[in-house]
Amino acid sequence: MANLDEIRQMTIDGAIAGIAAKVQEALDQGVAAETILNEGLVSGMDHVGSMFEAGEYFVPEMLIAARTMDNALSVLKPHLIKEGAEFIGTVAIGTVKGDLHDIGKRLVAMMLEGAGFQIIDLGVDVKPELFVEEVRNGATLVAVSALLTTTMTNMGDVAKALEEAGLRQNARFIVGGAPVTEEYAESIGADGYADTAIAAVRVARDLVGARRHDPV
Amino acid sequence: MTSRERVELALRHQEPDRVPLDLGSTMVTGMQASSVYQLRQALGLDEPGTPVKVVEPYQMLGEIKIDLIEALGVDTVGLWGKKNFFGFANEGWKPWTLFDGTPVLVPERFNTEPDENGDILTYPEGDVSVPPSARMPQGGWYFDSIVRQGPIDDDSLNVEDNLEEFGPLSDEEIAWFTSEIDRLADTDRAVIGSLGGASFGDIALVPAPQLKHPKGIRDIEEWYVSTGIRRGYVYEIFDRQCEIALNNLEKFYEICGNRLTAVFMTGTDFGTQNGPFISPKTYHELFKPFHVRINNWIHENTEWRSFIHSCGSIWRLLDDIVDAGFEILNPVQITAAEMDPGDLKGKYGDRVTFWGGGIDTQKTLPFGSPDEVRENVRHTMRIFGQGGGFVWNSVHNVQAGVPRDNLLALYEAINEYRTYPIT
Repeated sequence: MANLDEIRQMTIDGAIAGIAAKVQEALDQGVAAETILNEGLVSGMDHVGSMFEAGEYFVPEMLIAARTMDNALSVLKPHLIKEGAEFIGTVAIGTVKGDLHDIGKRLVAMMLEGAGFQIIDLGVDVKPELFVEEVRNGATLVAVSALLTTTMTNMGDVAKALEEAGLRQNARFIVGGAPVTEEYAESIGADGYADTAIAAVRVARDLVGARRHDPV
Repeated sequence: MTSRERVELALRHQEPDRVPLDLGSTMVTGMQASSVYQLRQALGLDEPGTPVKVVEPYQMLGEIKIDLIEALGVDTVGLWGKKNFFGFANEGWKPWTLFDGTPVLVPERFNTEPDENGDILTYPEGDVSVPPSARMPQGGWYFDSIVRQGPIDDDSLNVEDNLEEFGPLSDEEIAWFTSEIDRLADTDRAVIGSLGGASFGDIALVPAPQLKHPKGIRDIEEWYVSTGIRRGYVYEIFDRQCEIALNNLEKFYEICGNRLTAVFMTGTDFGTQNGPFISPKTYHELFKPFHVRINNWIHENTEWRSFIHSCGSIWRLLDDIVDAGFEILNPVQITAAEMDPGDLKGKYGDRVTFWGGGIDTQKTLPFGSPDEVRENVRHTMRIFGQGGGFVWNSVHNVQAGVPRDNLLALYEAINEYRTYPIT
């Protein structure tokens, strides 16, 4: 399993240039794509997350790891689809309407992807209807970010739009971002709140795990 | 005691008659135009419908006019560059309206176009024939840069491309500063100079909203990634930028002399809500050498105090930031992790003047009650005010959407609690 260890380590080290070839090498040797994902990338990203939480990794290191993972996934994805690999859940993620900030949301998306979720990144300044649309298409988690005190107040509109479309029960709704607090999240009817990208993974795992047992 | 004496005593870590107050001397210590309008109306300074001038159209900061300065007891004035974030001068005013209906005046070259979503686009140097460089989302309060990033070929990256916006002060700028400093120094207020050019890697400036065709690395994520994977390239940009800034500082000193009390040197954000943006090691290796060079020059040649602005949680970087020679810290984001007012004052209060941290602008000011606002002001005044070393300012610019009663409670509380001795 030397290759899997190497892939894991390359993810941690942010080996942007070399990882695609290494993933291809593992595939060529007959390692299943899902194994490469779980034992190489997901395991590596877990470690990246702990380094971030421990104050050893910072935003640039996280973004470099994200780019490394993207390069690996570009090789891996067609094989995952062919193998019929299952994602933990599908996340529709975006920055709230009126807010153009991308980095925090991107870090959450990357950590969720690294944890085995399928990510639909709707970008920034996302209208509530777009989240609704993705839930209609099967997203099981809606994750909304806001950096500003003046845009945070738009996050509740996403929950309302899901209610109005009759889809609120189909997906969990989580929020985060600099000015957002747990109390605020509760006040707008969110199912979860996280103050860091790593905490977002824990919340998402808990909620979507719980969801699987929900007989809705 | 004049306002200038009050600020200078505080900067020498002595207690003046009362805590000095800043509003609007820099682009990070002001107030969004809509809130300025509300405050002026609440104080009865204007007839309803009287527009507020937008003196910084990127963040849509409102003008803090002399009548407001006098009404609030503000002790500072700002010496700003001739051109704004979009590369044109604040002159030739014309009416405009914010999304919330606030009437404002904007510079004549502030040209905008709506896009198909109802967002507002604006242009470098006001030139609508080139692609827009910033966007205000529909219903928004200010602009964010539109990233205009060409393909990056690592083999042909050239630092000159990332230096286009930095250069020697032009004759026009020299003439501007010469007349402005005469005007401002004539007041009895402390003049805070903003020269620009030494905000190494300031992510608000990397996309270069003032340039018509920015080249080099201009994408925000690409820039952060580059501080890791293209460290040498970024270091060389900073090195060249620093040379240019030092030459400009020399000219700036020839013009202003010691009529400036402090200079705003850098606005690069090193903190996020929960911790530093970059590692202490990256600060030490990539940023500190240039901060040291700039601050050494200031200390060897002028009586100015050097002002650093960095949002977020920067406790873990502060030993190095203070060691780099900064004497003024702003905005002191007390709501970020590890930014406890008592800890900050206790550890750095003898070396650093806290220029900010007076009111939490993320929660208390926009969403709290007037009583909570008053209590926050009293609490931080007691901690930061002890022994001087405090100039009252909010945590960053006061944003839009603050209730009128909270704005009134804020300035009433400041004036109630700012008198020494503070108990």
